[in-house]
Amino acid sequence: MGHARLERQLSAFLDNELTADDAQEVRAHLETCVACREELQRLEHVKRLLGSLPERAPAPQVWEELRERLDAQAPRESAGVLEAIRNAFRRPALALAAAAIVVLLIAVPLVKGRIDRLRAAEVGPDVFVREHALSAVADPFADRAYVGLLVTDANLVLISEPRSRGSVR
Amino acid sequence: MRVSSRVLVLVCCAVILTAALPVWGQGGSRPVLLSGASAASVIQSVLSAPTLVDYEGTKILTAVRGEQAETVTILESYKRFGKLRLEFLSPESTSGRLIVDDGASSWHYEPSLHVVIRGPSFVTTSTRTDASAILKRYEARVLGSEQVIGRQTLVLELLPKEGRMTRRLWVDQATGVVLRTEERSQGGELLFSSFFSRISYSLNLPSALFRFHLPAGAKIFTFFLSGDPTQDRQELSRQAKFAVRAPATLGGSYAFQSGTIARHGALMAVSLLYSDGVNIVSLYETPSSKMAVPVLGTSMAMRNGRGRWLDLGYFRVVMWESGGISHAILGTLPAESLVAMAEELNTVKP
Repeated sequence: MGHARLERQLSAFLDNELTADDAQEVRAHLETCVACREELQRLEHVKRLLGSLPERAPAPQVWEELRERLDAQAPRESAGVLEAIRNAFRRPALALAAAAIVVLLIAVPLVKGRIDRLRAAEVGPDVFVREHALSAVADPFADRAYVGLLVTDANLVLISEPRSRGSVR
Repeated sequence: MRVSSRVLVLVCCAVILTAALPVWGQGGSRPVLLSGASAASVIQSVLSAPTLVDYEGTKILTAVRGEQAETVTILESYKRFGKLRLEFLSPESTSGRLIVDDGASSWHYEPSLHVVIRGPSFVTTSTRTDASAILKRYEARVLGSEQVIGRQTLVLELLPKEGRMTRRLWVDQATGVVLRTEERSQGGELLFSSFFSRISYSLNLPSALFRFHLPAGAKIFTFFLSGDPTQDRQELSRQAKFAVRAPATLGGSYAFQSGTIARHGALMAVSLLYSDGVNIVSLYETPSSKMAVPVLGTSMAMRNGRGRWLDLGYFRVVMWESGGISHAILGTLPAESLVAMAEELNTVKP
């Protein structure tokens, strides 16, 4: 790092705001650079002086003026947003599109939930039969051929191609 | 010296073949089961058969559903350990269907749709179950011996200690393979029957028979529905995000085994497995907000409302809603037993 850049970092070095590596680099530079050492001394002096000054609260009217200015800005911004919405609704196509989006956002999860509930009721018995048949092989006397028939019949229903006889429907 | 070595080798081969023949079942010089065998030893031979013998045969299944019965004819080939091939011959609605199970996965090919559906294996050769575990829950007796397709069998009757339904198995004395099965309700009605009309035993069926070859252009679906089973019922509630009703026992003798989360498309259900040591009952629970009660089967009165009853022949299903949860209970048990379990479950707090 060059002299100019290290010199700019002296203030941060003084306030312990540098990383360990950068601080080490500044420290090494200070050992060889008289100008930077003097600059650091000057900064330390200024810091000491500033530290010795008493703290003073701002005058009450400063806060009042600031608040008035903030209040004056806020309505202007919210009025801008409201105006934009009003403008949008003056165009019927935009208003319809917005309403449709709102309806869709509400309706889609509701409809999907209902469809899923009905679909679950539709496939449920076949899933249960298939799972039960697969579990039933733990019975040492279960007929594996019949278990195979039940499992495969349920498979067909689950791919929406039920056999005419044998599945639960 | 050389000649005597050859004689020795020939003698050894003869000894090995003589020992293998009874297992093969064709020679039948020394059957696996003797005529006066106890029920325990007949059960043990049935449990051991899948690890001892390969076979291929024609099987005829009949399941009764309400007033109707469906008969299905299948070519069944089995190879140790846990490899199965099923080719469906009739009725027309199943004709050509092929299932190849290599013990790890099953492949189902439906020729009319030209689709292949891959799923978990449904063949187990577990030797964890032993005859004594079955005899704790079932009364078993050997009714006598009978000929089935020209082979000598012992007839084993299994009756659950709580009643419900009976099973009769015609067990090949030479191999332990069940050649005929009958399940009857407590009233004596036939619920299910299966029998081989022909069977050949083999020491070693070709492995290629149990390898699935994907037909060109077939569409493939993969259905592995359930997650990993757990015995921690609180963990199930956590995964399912609702309070699962999972009592330790159902119907007195059916103990909780494990539970999983079953998913298929929009459906998510907690699947709970109960067993009496042999027979399995499955219970499914899903929030009513996620699944309506299916409009299938017939409406029926229950103690705390109404439910639906579905007779699938071998399997029976009771479906009902209680406490914001849709339930389904499945098993081969008669209607009254499943309904009693459903009503018992309604009294269980999650």
